[in-house]
Amino acid sequence: MARYLLRRTAFLLGSLLLAATLLFLLLRLLPGDPANSLLSVGATPEQIAAARHQIGSDRPLPEQFGSWLGGLARFDLGTSFVSTLPVGQEIASRLVVTVPLTLLSFLLAVVVAVPVGFLAAYRADRWYGPLLNGVSQLGIAVPVFWIGMLLVTVFALRLRVLPAGGFPRHEWEDPAAALTSLALPVVTIALVMSASLIRYVRSATVDVLGADYLRTARALGSSFVGAMWRHGLRNAAVPVISILGIELATTFLGAVVVESVFALPGLGGMLVKGIAEHDYPVIQGVLVVSTFAVLVIGFAADLVQRLVDPRLRAHLAGGRP
Amino acid sequence: MKRSPTFLIGCVLVALVCAVAVVSLLWLPYDPSDTSGGRLVPPGGAHWLGTDKLGRDLLSRLMVGARIALTVGFGSVLVGGVLGVTAGLLAGFATRWLDDTISAVLDILIAFPTLLLAMLVVAVRQASLGSAVLAIGLAMSAIVARLTRVLVKRVLAQDYITASRTSGTSWPRVVTEHVLPNIWPTLLVNLALQLGLAVLAEASLSYLGLGPPPPNASWGRLLQEAQATVLTAPTGAIAPGVLLVVLVVGVNLVADGFRDLADPTRRRSR
Amino acid sequence: MSGILVSSKIVGAALVLSLALAACGTGSGGTTSTAPPAAATIEIGSLYEPQNLDNTAGGGQGVTEVFNGNVYEGLFKLTDAGKVENLLAESHKVSPDGLTYTFTLRKGVKFHSGKPLTSADVKYSIEKVTAKDSQSARKSGFKPVKSIETPDDATVVVKLASRSISLVYNLSYVWIINSAAKNLTTTEDGTGPYKLGAWKRGSTLSLDRFDGYWGAKPTNKGVVFHYFTDATALNNALLTNAVDIVTSEQSPDALAQFKDNKDYRVSDGHSTTKLLLAFNDRKAPFDKPLVRKAVTSAIDNAKLLESIWAGYGSLIGSMVPPTDPWYEDLTKVNPYDVNLAKKELAEAGYAKGFAFTLDTPNYDPHPTAAAFIKSELAKVGITVTINVITADEWYSKVYKNRDFAATLQEHVNDRDVVWYGDPDFYWGYDNPQVTKWVAEAEQAETTEVQTELLKKVNRQIAEDAASDWLYLYPQIVVASSDLSGYPINGLNSQFYVYGIKKG
Repeated sequence: MARYLLRRTAFLLGSLLLAATLLFLLLRLLPGDPANSLLSVGATPEQIAAARHQIGSDRPLPEQFGSWLGGLARFDLGTSFVSTLPVGQEIASRLVVTVPLTLLSFLLAVVVAVPVGFLAAYRADRWYGPLLNGVSQLGIAVPVFWIGMLLVTVFALRLRVLPAGGFPRHEWEDPAAALTSLALPVVTIALVMSASLIRYVRSATVDVLGADYLRTARALGSSFVGAMWRHGLRNAAVPVISILGIELATTFLGAVVVESVFALPGLGGMLVKGIAEHDYPVIQGVLVVSTFAVLVIGFAADLVQRLVDPRLRAHLAGGRP
Repeated sequence: MKRSPTFLIGCVLVALVCAVAVVSLLWLPYDPSDTSGGRLVPPGGAHWLGTDKLGRDLLSRLMVGARIALTVGFGSVLVGGVLGVTAGLLAGFATRWLDDTISAVLDILIAFPTLLLAMLVVAVRQASLGSAVLAIGLAMSAIVARLTRVLVKRVLAQDYITASRTSGTSWPRVVTEHVLPNIWPTLLVNLALQLGLAVLAEASLSYLGLGPPPPNASWGRLLQEAQATVLTAPTGAIAPGVLLVVLVVGVNLVADGFRDLADPTRRRSR
Repeated sequence: MSGILVSSKIVGAALVLSLALAACGTGSGGTTSTAPPAAATIEIGSLYEPQNLDNTAGGGQGVTEVFNGNVYEGLFKLTDAGKVENLLAESHKVSPDGLTYTFTLRKGVKFHSGKPLTSADVKYSIEKVTAKDSQSARKSGFKPVKSIETPDDATVVVKLASRSISLVYNLSYVWIINSAAKNLTTTEDGTGPYKLGAWKRGSTLSLDRFDGYWGAKPTNKGVVFHYFTDATALNNALLTNAVDIVTSEQSPDALAQFKDNKDYRVSDGHSTTKLLLAFNDRKAPFDKPLVRKAVTSAIDNAKLLESIWAGYGSLIGSMVPPTDPWYEDLTKVNPYDVNLAKKELAEAGYAKGFAFTLDTPNYDPHPTAAAFIKSELAKVGITVTINVITADEWYSKVYKNRDFAATLQEHVNDRDVVWYGDPDFYWGYDNPQVTKWVAEAEQAETTEVQTELLKKVNRQIAEDAASDWLYLYPQIVVASSDLSGYPINGLNSQFYVYGIKKG
C-alpha cells in the first residue's frame, strides 16, 4: 500500500506540473499578447509596455515559464490587471462560496441517487423502475442553467419562499442565511448530478444482482439483505466510487454556470468576469486552481477505490512482503 | 435483427430537430431579426409561439437555433473525433514511452473539463460559432482519444493480430483491416453521447454570453434573453429548453440503441 | 455664489434632496438632525461594480457611481439636475482676463483619516488627474492649466494658458483626496459623508456614515451596493426585496413587473447616453453630407426606440441631451422621410443606392439596432453588411485605425458635443467653422456666449448629419415605494445616496 501511495502521489505531482505547463503553453502560444487586451481600456503604448513588463510577456518564454512555476510553488498567482489585487487572495475569498456549494450539491446528489438507482435496478419489473429510469434519462439531457431558471421562477418569484440569488454580505457568520441562499443552487446542481449518478448506480446494481457470487451466497442460505451487505455493496461500490470522483469534479464545474444563474460571488463568476475583461492573470489563476482541484479529487477517488475494492485489497495484502 | 424501441424514439426525436433545421434553410415564418412583430406578443395567430422582447418571431428564431445547435454538435464531434481518434491510434500503436506521455497528457486534458477548456479558447480567441466548435471539439478529443487508445490496445492484444503483425503485415493494414472494424461500434456510441454533451456545452457557453454573438439565435442565448421576462412571457423561457432536451434525449437514446445493437450481451443483461 | 451666505447645514440638506423630495418637504431638513438613531441601511442594486477604487487608475463607471459625492467630494458638485454648485470650495474668484482662478476652501473639513483638508491636498488631487499615467476621462479638460499654487492652507490659485469656461464644471469631477493617502485602488481617504465599510469583490460594497462629516448627516445609517452581472438577477433581487432600489435599468423587459405594482416606483429620468450611427466622414460615400442626411432620413428612429426601449427614452436629433445647457430639439432637421431620402441619394449621385459594412459591437443593443438599420436602408436601395466585432476590435479597428465605413456606438458623457470640433476624432468630421466655434466656446467669457456658440455647433452638425443620433437612452430607477430621496437622473453615472430614506 505504501508503495502504491508513493507511486500515485508521484503521478499526482507529475500531473500537476503537466497541467501547469499545458495551461501556460495554451495561454502563451495562442495568438496575441495578453497585454494587448489592455487596449480595451484605451491604454497608451507606455501602459501596454508596463503591463507587458508586469506580467512578464516581454521576457523569453523559458524565463516566463520559470517564474510562473516559481510563483505557483509559492502559491502566488500574480495580480489582476483590472483590480491590481492579488489573484490568489480573491480566489480564496470566493472559495467560501464555491466549495460549500459543490460539497452540499454533491452530498445531496449522492443521497438521492444511491437509493433511487438501486430501486430502479432492483424493481425493474415494477412500474416505477422504468419510470425512475426515464426520469434520469431526461435529467441528463437538461441544461443545468435552465433548471436553475425554472426553480428561481417558481420558488423565488412566484412562491417567494427562497431568495432568487446573491450571498449574504456577512457570509457564514449567519449560517442560516448562507444556507438559505445556497438552497436553490444546491438543488439545481444536485438534480442534474443525481440524474447521471442514478444511471451508474443502476447499472452497477444490475451487474451485481446478476453476479454468480450473490446467487451462490443466497443458495447457501444467506438472506438477500445479508448477501447484499457482505458481497454486493462492496462490488457495486467500486465502479460507483470512481464515477463519484469524476462527478464531484463535474459538480465543481457545474457550479461555474449555476453561480451565474444565482448571482453567487464564487469562482465561476470570477472566471466569467475575467474572460469578459480579458484579465489574463485572473483567467490563469482560476483555471489552475480548478484543474488542480479536479486532479486532487481524482487522486482521492483512486485511493478510496483501492481501499474498498475487495480484489485490489486482496491483491495488495498478498503482495506485501 | 429487431430494433429496440428506444433507438426508434431517439431517431424520431433527432430527425425532428434535423427537419426543423433543414426547413429553416428553405422557409421561415419571419426574418429572425425582423423586429416589427410587436413586443412580447403572446403565442397564437400571426406568431405561433409569440414574439420576444424586441418583437422578433420566436418560432423563426427557434428554427434558426436548431441550425446552430446541430452545427455545433456535429462540427465539434467532427473536430473531436478526427483529433481524438488520430491521437488514440497513435498512442495505441506507439512505443511504451510515447504512449505513456500521450496518456498522461490526455489524463490532464480530461481533468480540464469541456466547459473550462471552451471558456479558455473563447478567452484567447473571441466568442463566435467557430470558437465554440473548436473549443468543444478540442475538449472532446481528449475523451475520444483515451477511449480509442484503450480499444486499440484491447484489439492489438488479441492473439491473431499479434500473429498477423509478427508475420509482417504493415501497420496501416492492421489499422484498416483489424482495428477500425473492431472499434468503430463502441466509438460511434461514444461520439453520439459526446454530441449530446456538445449541444449542452454550447447552450451553457451561450447562456454565459461566450457563445456565438448576437444576432445568432442560439438556444442558450434565447433562454438567457427570455430570463428577464419569464413571468410576463414564459413561452420564451420554456420553448428553447424543451427543444434542447428533445435533441439531447434523442441523441442519447440513439447512442443507447447503437450500444444495444453493437453489444448483444449487454442487451440481454438489461 | 449665494451659498457662502447660507449655513453649511442648509446647503448640505439642499444638495441632498432630489427634485421630488424638495417639492414636498417644507424645511424640515435644515432644523434638526434629520437622521433618527435607528435610521435604516439602504440596500442598493447595481450592475456596475468598480474595477478598483481609483478613478484615475481605471476604476470605471462603477467607482463614480459609488464614490462621487458619497465618499469623495470635489471643489464643486454637479447636482442631479445638472447644475454646478459649491462643495468643498466656499467661493471662487476669476481674474478679469479669465486666466487666474482663486478658490477659497471650506473650513472645518476633515478627511476620514482625521487630517484636516488643506490646499496642498487640492493641488495633489488635480495633479493626480492630469498626471502622465492618469486614466481619468476628464484629463483632457485640464489641458489649459498652466500652474497650481497654494499661497495658504485655505487658498488654491489655478493659472491657465487660455480661457476655460468649463474649468469649474470640470473640477466637479476631481475628487479631493488626502495627499498622504496610500493604496487608493483598495482603500480611500475622502471628505464625503460616508467612509468605505467593506468591499467584497464580486458581491457587495458597503458605505458607513462618517461621524466627522462637515455637512448635514446622511438620512440613513449606511448603504450597501449589491453588484450583479446580469440584469435579470438584479431585478429578481428587487422583486424579492433583497435590494431596495436599482440604480439604472438597462432594458425595459422587467419593468412591467414593477410598473403596475404599488410596492414599487419607476422613475424615468434623463440620461446622457446616446446611441450613434457614426459615419466615417472622411471616406466616400459618407464624406458627402447629402448621403449622410439621406441615410438619417431613411431610418425610423422612433420605431427603433420603441422596439428597444418600449416607450422609454427620447429622440434628440443631435448630440446634445436635454440636461446640457445648449440643448435644442433638432429632430426636425433630418426627419424620417423615405421619399426625401431617395431624393437626396439621387442628388448625391447614388440613385441606385450603394453598399457598406456596418461595424457593430457584439453587445446589446448594437446588434439589434444594426439589424433594424439594415432592413430600413434596404428600402432605399442601400445594402448593409453587418460586421459584428468585440469591444477590443472596436477600439483598435474603428477608434484607433479609423478603418471603417460606419459603426454603432453608445456615447455616455454629457457635454460631449465638443468632440465634433476635433477633426482627429474617430468619426473624422472636419468642419473648420465648427472647430472654431468649439474653441471659441471654451474661451468664452460668459456662459451665455458659450451656450450660444455651442448651439450653433449643434445646429451645424445636425444640418451636416455628421452622425445619425439614433436616440437618447432613458435613465430608469426602480425603487420600493417606501424609499424616498434618491437621485433619478444619475447624471454621468453619479448616484448620491445621502438623502435616501426608508419608511
